[in-house]
Parts: sequence; C-alpha cells; structure tokens
Amino acid sequence: MTTTDFFIPCSVNEAVDLLSEHGEELVVMGGGTIMMYLVNEGRLFPRKVMSLRRSGMDEVRAVDGHVEIGAGVTIARIAQLDALSILAQAARILGGPAVRNMATIGGNLFAHAPYGDLGVPLLALDARIELRSKRGQRTIPLEQFFAGHPGGEYLAAELVTALHVPLPQGHGVYLKLGRRHANTPSVVAVAAQITLDDNNVCRAARIALGAASPRPMRAVRAEAALVGERLDDASITAAAEAAMSESDPATDALASAWYRRRMAGLYVRKALEQVAHARSGAQ
Amino acid sequence: MNTLTDTLTVTFKLNSKPVALAVPPLTTLRSALREHLHLHATKAGCGQGGCGSCTVLVNGEPTLSCLLPVALVEGQEVTTLEGISSYGSLHPLQEAFYEHFAAQCGYCTSGMILTAKALLERNPHPSREEIAEALSGNMCRCTGYLPIVEAIEDAARKMEEGQ
Repeated sequence: MTTTDFFIPCSVNEAVDLLSEHGEELVVMGGGTIMMYLVNEGRLFPRKVMSLRRSGMDEVRAVDGHVEIGAGVTIARIAQLDALSILAQAARILGGPAVRNMATIGGNLFAHAPYGDLGVPLLALDARIELRSKRGQRTIPLEQFFAGHPGGEYLAAELVTALHVPLPQGHGVYLKLGRRHANTPSVVAVAAQITLDDNNVCRAARIALGAASPRPMRAVRAEAALVGERLDDASITAAAEAAMSESDPATDALASAWYRRRMAGLYVRKALEQVAHARSGAQ
Repeated sequence: MNTLTDTLTVTFKLNSKPVALAVPPLTTLRSALREHLHLHATKAGCGQGGCGSCTVLVNGEPTLSCLLPVALVEGQEVTTLEGISSYGSLHPLQEAFYEHFAAQCGYCTSGMILTAKALLERNPHPSREEIAEALSGNMCRCTGYLPIVEAIEDAARKMEEGQ
C-alpha cells in the first residue's frame, strides 16, 4: 500500500476539518521524526498523511502565570525557554541538533519509551494539553492524555494544539541517563519540581519518570513520601524506593527492566539531593 | 491548503538554483536528491534520525533529509555538499577536512561539513565544546572525531583570515 494523499493544511481549522473528515485513517505528523522513521523502517504504510508543518501552532506566549506553547514549536525553540527551566534542559539534550530543528513539542508527546523525553518535565510542571476538534476546544491534564493514549476516544477526532505550562514554583531538576553523553534515548529520565517551606519541609512535590513505563509517568508514591516531610536522607531514601517500586520499565536494546528500575530509584535520589543541595546553598 | 495526490510536483531552490520534480507523496528529500536528482553527496544512513549522514541545510539549518518529505521543502532553500564550493574551488571546510584527514570512509563527511558550515555561520569562533555539541547528531565510526574537530577549528581560522 502506498501513500495516496498528503495533506499540508495552512491553518489549525483546516487541520481539524481534515482530521474529522478522515478520522483514524489519517496519520498526523508534526516534525516527522517519529512517523517518517516508521515509514523508512517499513513499519508504517500510511495511505493518508497530514503534516502540521504549515498549520501555524508555532507561537509561545506568556499568559498570566503560565506559558502557552503551540504544539508545532520545535524542540530547538523549547530549549531556549529559560522560564521553564526543566523543560528547556530536557529539550537541550533531546536527540541531536538536526532532530531538535525538526521535531515538535506536540509530536514528542506521541513518542513511546525510550523516546518522548519532553513529557517528563511537562508532567512535573503540571502542564495541561489543549485539544481541538470540530466540537470545540478543551484542555485536560497531560497526565490524563498519557493515561488515555493509545485508545483514548478523544484522539481519533481531536488535534493536540498547545501545551499550557504553569510557571514553576520552587526547585526544579531534570536528569537523564543515556548510553552516550549526547544524542541518546533514555535509559531513564527524571524530572522533579519541589517546593520547600522555611523549615525545609516539602510543601509540594511533583516527580515524573521517563522510560520507566510505556509513557511518561508521575511517581505519585515518591511524591507522597516527600510531602509534609523534611527533605532529608530518610525522606529522599523513601521517595527513591517508592519510585523504584512504582516504575514498570521495559527491557530493550538500551537497558534491561531490572537496570532501569534501579536507575529510576538512583536518579530520583540524585535529583532530590540536588534540590537539597541547592537549598542549603541558597541559605 | 495543498492536497497532493499520487504524484506531487514540488519546486524549491537547490544550491541556489530552482528545481522542480514530480515524485510520489511522502518521497523523502533524501530520496529526491539521490534517486531523482542523482546527487549522491547526501548519504543514506540509518533512516531513523540517529546518524546524521543525510544532513542537509534547509534555509541554512541542519535538517535530516531522510525524515523530511520533499513536499515540505516547497519554496524553501536546500543546500547540499554539492552546493558549497564556489567557482570550482573547495570550501574552506572541505579543504580542512582533506588536510586533517578528517574523512576516512567518507560516509559521515557530507553531514559533518554541512553541520559545521551552519555552526560557523552562527558562531564563527566556536570552542571545542561548542563544536562537539554541534556535531552530536553526526556519527563517525572511523576517525574518533578528533581530526574532524581539528579540521573545523582550522577552517574557522582560515575563513576569518580570508575575510
């Protein structure tokens, strides 16, 4: 089967109309770095394809207390968003420079482990995802998007149009373990956004893991091990152990599930130690 | 909106000259260059975005031609290795790669040189770290990278002297 139709809509409305008209038959590509890879490998033979490259959705706007990022913004541009420090850090070490010039933040959310690093800091930042269909527009927590994909009923008819990311509070850390120093998928990735009060007690904690399950996941038990506790060796150890137990990683060419699970714990520990260190340095 | 069915026509600027070609939809820029236009400096490597050997410049930016449908370069400016020498003389980066023995099997060289060209246009005096960072998407399995980094440093010096 060969591709018969290649749509290049020039606006979001056109893209939404096409999606509604063609449904699941239409394979949507952002920057193409996931879809074209599957086509080149002979693993995907799409009959109808839509590229979002000219459909706009490439703006970054600061709107009271949060940043709205169009789904078509490239990873290279995300790497410059210093206000969203852990997201920018993840973008700076995602793939190589040419991949970052092409790949988009919206498309990256459809990558499966061990790819799709941006979902990890976005979960830690409590991002919401904006979806648009003929029926209208809605935003849902990114977590819910990951839980519903694949197979979520909204996906067939809705287009990811933007991410809404609250400006971060407290300390943020992003760490990624790969098999090389650069241009590598994740053995494991960890993002943490931690708010401590004056007594060093954790008031809010969001911890997310990449490559620790098929989709980026929140480590809710690790978070629970911290909130209300002083950030010290005991609570950090409890959080790292919780992160290990709630990870459900895969074995692939990069790493075994056994190793990934241990690294998830170790990197949560490292991330929290960096928060503790930054905190003691600041005092 | 453009709907491109069965065979699409695409026109763009390739190495400063206009080209037009008719290809099946989803034909990659890499295939268009190698199989339709018979320009073979752009190499076909992994096809996954991992090796960088198919790197070309689209509007001056390093881009993986194996992951880019050629339909999307409509109206854009594409530069390949064939387009960077002028008046029959080698580009300073090509000369430096030759002098420093920075090409062995040659498979990565085209992507390396184009990536380096984009780097030097943005940053004429890159540090070694900046060069390594810029090349982090281009794999070389022969040289161990050192001659490549040295060639780029040398070319940067010569390009500045030449100005």
